[in-house]
Amino acid sequence: MVLMIDTTTEHIGKGIAEELTRSGESAVGFELVDTTGMNISHCVGCNYCWLKTPGVCTISDDYEPILRKMSNADQVWLISDTHFGFVSWQTKNIVDRIMPLVTMYLKFKDGQMRHVMRYDHQPDIGIIYTGDGDQAYLERWCQRTALNIGTRSLGVFSESSKKEAVSCML
Amino acid sequence: MHVVIINGSPRVQKYSNTEKIIAAFAKGLSEKGATFETYAISDRKTWDIIRDAYIKKDEILIALPLYVECVPGLLLEFLETLPRKDEQTRLSFLLQSGFAEGCQLRCGEAFLEKLPKYLNVRYGGCLVKGDNFGIRILDEEKQAQVTRPYQAMGELFAEGDGFFREEAKKFTGPEYFPFPIRLMMGLIFKPLGKKIFQKAAASLGCRVPLDERVWETGRN
Repeated sequence: MVLMIDTTTEHIGKGIAEELTRSGESAVGFELVDTTGMNISHCVGCNYCWLKTPGVCTISDDYEPILRKMSNADQVWLISDTHFGFVSWQTKNIVDRIMPLVTMYLKFKDGQMRHVMRYDHQPDIGIIYTGDGDQAYLERWCQRTALNIGTRSLGVFSESSKKEAVSCML
Repeated sequence: MHVVIINGSPRVQKYSNTEKIIAAFAKGLSEKGATFETYAISDRKTWDIIRDAYIKKDEILIALPLYVECVPGLLLEFLETLPRKDEQTRLSFLLQSGFAEGCQLRCGEAFLEKLPKYLNVRYGGCLVKGDNFGIRILDEEKQAQVTRPYQAMGELFAEGDGFFREEAKKFTGPEYFPFPIRLMMGLIFKPLGKKIFQKAAASLGCRVPLDERVWETGRN
């Protein structure tokens, strides 16, 4: 399943979903979540999802259904505006709060310390961005973020090359 | 030198590891005759006051925890409210994380290196240091002990070269742990590390295993 999480002010996710439908490979199951109007807090760093209520975020807002979808998806596409060449704070908040997917336990993987995953399945991660994104940095960050959940980056695409992004979803 | 220190952690100040690090760092500044004022972005109500200090003063240090390879979302939101300034202002960073190896913080550091250009201010360098996860669960005496090295970095910063000196670069420690050390840590961690975390969890009232699964994923 392909999950798209759209935090952009122009709601560009809608057009990407249409592009995906148009591409003909309708067998691809996808879901578009537009976060407009949702109440999604930032991560407060309480560590409760590791130490007090393992796997459960202590903040009760509109985030948990999104996290469950992310946990089950094969691909998660972050559709984001950019600022300072990076994803918006709205998108960063969504990523900061994936911590319930990993446990407090640690291990070495490929020479670096990593958290032990809570579940067997994690999604690959891609980015589609609007504005003046720092392509090289976003690619680096996406790869590192995927590494944290033991998966890989699907790539980083500006809105103008959304067709390429869609071809990665098929 | 007068330094405006901004704690960029979203965690409430009382439990903030970054706050403890700032305290040790600021002690080092004082030792060398520098003065400072501190703020914390965790309380949104103070954002106008912090922004005002950022605008009026020209030596700014943002101390922050690494959140998923970069700046915490809340700090990113605060940064978007800052106006562009000029070259008179120098912006430096103290980036800390739970993971111990230097390699874990480089992606975050790379963002911070470029950030001053977007804000039209001068970059004063970034002090990078991991292995801080445990600060919160230590008693006060132990906290003072593990944060003490940051005092020397405060003294160094007061000399005026930001974090560009060799001592600041060395402060990070190893980029990767050598294989024998990884092997040893792996062996020790399995029983001991788990026990430490389980004990910390029990003290918070946790009654389930730390690797508890809350839902079944589609791929199980």
